[in-house]
Amino acid sequence: MYGSVSTHDIPAQAPTGLENEDPQLLAEFEARIARGEKIEPDDYMPALYRKQLIRMIEQHAHSEIIGSLPEGTWITRAPGFRRKMAQMAKVQDEVGHAQLLYSAAETLGKTREEMITDLINGKSKYSNVFNYPTPTWADSNVISWLIDAGAIVNQMANAKGSYGPYCRALERICAEESFHLKYGHDAVVHMATGTPTQRRMMQEALNRWWPPIMTFFGPADKMSQHTEILMRWKVKMASNDDCRQQFLDMYVPKILEIGLTIPDPKLRKNEETGKWEYTEPDWDELRRVINGDGPCNKERLAVRRAAEENGAWVRRALQAKQQAAKHVRPLA
Amino acid sequence: MLTSLDPRITRLHLPDAPPSIEPKEAFDQFETYEAFHQKKEGTAYTYVGPVHAPTADVAFLFAKEQYSRRFPCTGMWVAPTRAISLTRYVGDTESVYDFVTEQLPAQTGAEPDESVQQAEAYARGEEDYAIFHLKKRGKAHVHVGMVRAASPDEALLQAKAVFGEQRPVVNVWVVRWADVLTSDDEDRDIWSTTPEKKYRDAIAYKVQDRIDRFKQEQQ
Amino acid sequence: MNTTALKDLLYRLADDQLILGHRNSEWNGLGPILEEDIAFSSMAQDKLGHSLQLYTLLHNLGEAEPDTVAFTRNAPQFHCTQLVELPIGDYAFSLIRHFLYDHAELLRFQLLATSSYEPLAQVARKLKGELKYHVLHANTWVKQLGTSTEEAIEMLQTALNETLPYALGLFEKTEHEEAIIADGIFPGEDELKAQWLESISKVLAQTNLELPDLSTVAPVYGGRHGEHTEHLQPLLDEMAEVFRLDPTADW
Repeated sequence: MYGSVSTHDIPAQAPTGLENEDPQLLAEFEARIARGEKIEPDDYMPALYRKQLIRMIEQHAHSEIIGSLPEGTWITRAPGFRRKMAQMAKVQDEVGHAQLLYSAAETLGKTREEMITDLINGKSKYSNVFNYPTPTWADSNVISWLIDAGAIVNQMANAKGSYGPYCRALERICAEESFHLKYGHDAVVHMATGTPTQRRMMQEALNRWWPPIMTFFGPADKMSQHTEILMRWKVKMASNDDCRQQFLDMYVPKILEIGLTIPDPKLRKNEETGKWEYTEPDWDELRRVINGDGPCNKERLAVRRAAEENGAWVRRALQAKQQAAKHVRPLA
Repeated sequence: MLTSLDPRITRLHLPDAPPSIEPKEAFDQFETYEAFHQKKEGTAYTYVGPVHAPTADVAFLFAKEQYSRRFPCTGMWVAPTRAISLTRYVGDTESVYDFVTEQLPAQTGAEPDESVQQAEAYARGEEDYAIFHLKKRGKAHVHVGMVRAASPDEALLQAKAVFGEQRPVVNVWVVRWADVLTSDDEDRDIWSTTPEKKYRDAIAYKVQDRIDRFKQEQQ
Repeated sequence: MNTTALKDLLYRLADDQLILGHRNSEWNGLGPILEEDIAFSSMAQDKLGHSLQLYTLLHNLGEAEPDTVAFTRNAPQFHCTQLVELPIGDYAFSLIRHFLYDHAELLRFQLLATSSYEPLAQVARKLKGELKYHVLHANTWVKQLGTSTEEAIEMLQTALNETLPYALGLFEKTEHEEAIIADGIFPGEDELKAQWLESISKVLAQTNLELPDLSTVAPVYGGRHGEHTEHLQPLLDEMAEVFRLDPTADW
């Protein structure tokens, strides 16, 4: 489940380092992408491409592993067999997605362990939304439906990107997300059309989650820095605002049809421009939360750290049985 | 102690403010294995992705749940990443075999029959190698068959002789068969109930009736 | 066929699977290695699925709906053995519990595959492949870690020593034992226990772990009769927290 953290945008003035690349190799690389061919791990690639991809895939992986926690909060309390088993399967999928994505990033030369260490130390980022709490079962359902819906918009775009291993991982991830989306929708519909208690819980959860959802795709394009080269290299595939518009187009009607209200008085579709208008999200809060100051940042990282530490004795115990002398990148 | 909305986490008794993490002397992650699955009887094994594991048998346990918990599966192979040799990648319309220029030593005399050939090959120290092709960048490597050779390099030459007509072939993986852990035929039933786990499938969630009923009630 | 005895057996089976599946789900997202987190979750899901199938058999025999049975009873009405209700502990404990329990589970369902109660026999036959993987998983870990470092061996040995009395509680008999055997529903706990002991001993013999002398280990009984540790009721309250918010609701 990943939107856009936006930190992979390059500052306009930042050096691209392209002057250090072999012009002929660079031209062939760009021609390959322009032809619609994917880049594979052993190909030549500009240092900037490698760096930005590692950063993006790593952030995506972190978002999955941390993203498993807000829904994991309700794993022992899901009501009834159907929900209990599905909630487990969904959380399991998020862990699985993290595994796939860390592997894709590893093909670019950064080890999974380095990435996880950077996550735990707060050095690398993940989607801000997972730093918000899920005080009720309904909050978990809102994530399952709408955050996953947002993630699909973003991931479907990224699946058309240029890096082979990332595309392969996303193909599998998108297939699994379709279960998440349907499951989340099913759970939300049951509550929204259910008893007064359920309806109240669901409306309150939506009210809590709407502002974070609106920031899920990252800051407005007008605030974005120069991304032209990442678009040309098919690293970044869709603008934040386009993703947000697409999400609103698809899901606002589905939210309204089940009797829920959206807590934004300004939200409306401008029939002339065909675009949604909405209250400007609190971008300062987004920045603050991404940088560590959200309601749950500390807990999320502490839990991830505990999980890693739980595994340390297992890794220590089995190191000696390994035959590999040093780290080998996964192949694809 | 860290108190969480998640009762599981509260029970972990984590410190509120853990000391910052010590830099590790050496990374301790496990090595990687590459996994291949067979979707149904008689179809070719296809690459699904890597797992981190200390040994091949643990890699198999992991690959089974990471890569075959949802779709039908009839078999799985895992091989250590370090044991796989690969060619470079060429364009989507090319064949990487065109760039394999070395020649196999010419055969001498009459062709003996298959079983004699095989016995002689093993006697010479040759082994089976599995050959995987990538047909298009961004897709997955597929097992195309086996060759017998004394080294991965020779196996690639053999592969060119046997599979060289196929195209496009963007990339080739060569792996000594002895390095591949394969699921047993008799254990195929570990996948037998996978299709029944509908709660994991999008298709199990059909809610339109409920929405329509709700809308009617609202009118 | 003695329906009371049959139901008693089904409740024991179903409650074991439900409670251990629930416990093991606590590792979901917090597991020691990403891949192991995934594998362990699958097995927990399987256990819940098994319990659902068994509660469905009970429902067909006139008991309440599976959700009602699972989410509204209190500890004294549960027939699970105390082994499954213990907190997850460290991963060594959870692995050893998984190893001891799943060996018994696989053998139990193998014996049930020829049960005279055909609906149960059908369920048992269907689960064979799943359980085979669960035991393969447990054996692989126990063999790998049980032949590794002193630290790991000591952790597993401690877990084994602590868990064994509870594991023996799996074979606690109820007053229906003779009827179950006489009706050909299940060959009985003694038969199962003998097979189990042989089965775990074979695996442990390939490790540096020692199986304590069972004659010195007092089994922890009571679970089959509704006597539980202090851990079960809080587990049930947690499990039913949402379900009980609005008993009329469809979630």
